Amino acid sequence: MWGKGILTGMRITMRNMLRGPITVKYPYEKLALPERARWAVAPKYDEDGAPKCTACMACVRACPDHILDLEVTTREDKTKHIEHYSYEVGACMMCGLCVEACPFDAIEMSHDYELARMDPAELTYDLLADVDAAPVKRGHPAEAAKRTEPKSAEPAEAPAPDATGEEAADE
Amino acid sequence: MIGPRDTEHLVVNIGPQHPSTHGVLRLVAELDGEEIVNVEVSAGYLHRGIEKLGEHRRYHQLGTLMDRGDYLSGIHGELAAALATEQLLEVEVPPKARWLRSLMGEVNRIASHMIWYGTFGLDTGAMGQFLYAMRERETLLDVLESVSGQRMMFNYVRPGGVIADITPDAEQKLRTFLRTIDTYIDEHHALLGGNEIFQKRVRGVGVINREMGLSFGLTGANLRCSGVPYDVRRDKPYAAYGELEFDVPIGSVGDAWDRYLVRMEEMRQAARMIRQCIEGLPEGDVMAKIPKVVRPPAGEVYACVESPRGELGIHLVSDGSDTPYRFHYRAPSLFAVQVLEEILPGTLLADAIMLIGSVDILIGEIDR
Repeated sequence: MWGKGILTGMRITMRNMLRGPITVKYPYEKLALPERARWAVAPKYDEDGAPKCTACMACVRACPDHILDLEVTTREDKTKHIEHYSYEVGACMMCGLCVEACPFDAIEMSHDYELARMDPAELTYDLLADVDAAPVKRGHPAEAAKRTEPKSAEPAEAPAPDATGEEAADE
Repeated sequence: MIGPRDTEHLVVNIGPQHPSTHGVLRLVAELDGEEIVNVEVSAGYLHRGIEKLGEHRRYHQLGTLMDRGDYLSGIHGELAAALATEQLLEVEVPPKARWLRSLMGEVNRIASHMIWYGTFGLDTGAMGQFLYAMRERETLLDVLESVSGQRMMFNYVRPGGVIADITPDAEQKLRTFLRTIDTYIDEHHALLGGNEIFQKRVRGVGVINREMGLSFGLTGANLRCSGVPYDVRRDKPYAAYGELEFDVPIGSVGDAWDRYLVRMEEMRQAARMIRQCIEGLPEGDVMAKIPKVVRPPAGEVYACVESPRGELGIHLVSDGSDTPYRFHYRAPSLFAVQVLEEILPGTLLADAIMLIGSVDILIGEIDR
């Protein structure tokens, strides 16, 4: 019978009209994010409040968009001081490659998703500034062991700053 | 009364900024009254240079580009890039990773087909069922977000496997979803396909026959609608498709109605495969042992997957360095958009909009 399909459609519509709303009123109510959700990159700190970052540059080299930058001064006793660890969240696509590349578990993808700013300049900021880099402890980089790295003995120097780093800088 | 042949032809731009052209597609249509005489497809408004960018990305980073090519089915793009890299490296992928790739691929296929189903309805004037399609898509995106961490730009499949195992939460949601999906697909079919007005619009319009489909290089549902049973999942099995049971739906006439039926059936088959994947998911690692920076030996490979839009292929040429020498992306939509020049002439302008929807093109993939 011509028109039966339209009636069927109306019946489905009527049935669904009786369902409750499935949306939430966003700024007042928020949905929980899944644990693996990837948003802005954030530095991690150890129990003493010192950053875990050892300034090994692994994240800077892993970033496809070259939005992470580490400005490091190395002292005479080989310890490193992080002048700026800058991050352009406005250009970040939250792929998570930097976090996976980090052998020291020093950065994470946070759940901070409200990233709108009034001034675009605020979208580039320092994750860390003017702090000492964590020393690379041979033998027990506690977190590094967990990450089952094939060669985690000295990960800071393992992917030596070879042509890769320079190529990345050239682009 | 003025006869149709006495009028002047009018050249009309459809797009590039028109809500019904599925993105920034521009059609230059020559109209005789309301009938299309000639049409020229003008693509390139969403060009981002993904192929060239790929030459400056390491192999692990290619997935981030592929996510943004075909953004409705990122898993398939990532998978094609990962398969190509694995072929170059000759790496064996753990069984669990292969099954998870198939599982997430099929979840993504339904999510992508739901967008097609919703927008196809919008193109034919059915405004209501779009949001019904979003109901299913929302569940599937929650699953994908729970497993991969993002709703669309997953970056989940990597050379050597996948980044993470399925979460208990996602598995729970999928099981609930599978209980209802068959009923819901019937409901979708009743809302759109069962509607007589819709059937009048799509039956017998935009016929792509076997020869046309093959000569234009069409793949996916656009080719299968004409009766050619070509499906990469069955003919060149990758991931776990060799071990999964599924049917390849084909059409007979090749009109927009057949394309609709084939895609609706594909969703049912995808749900069937998701069921098998959840039940048969093997134990083990999800990632093979693979260095962080890979330098595959020089050579070239072609890897292809069956994306929701057809055969998505990656031609990767390595020169032994850590970035590809050449990275070519075979986008199935690029072939589908070209066939529009063949099937649109002779139809009405309103049908042109419907036919763009029926071939399921995605501009992000065409222009890349």
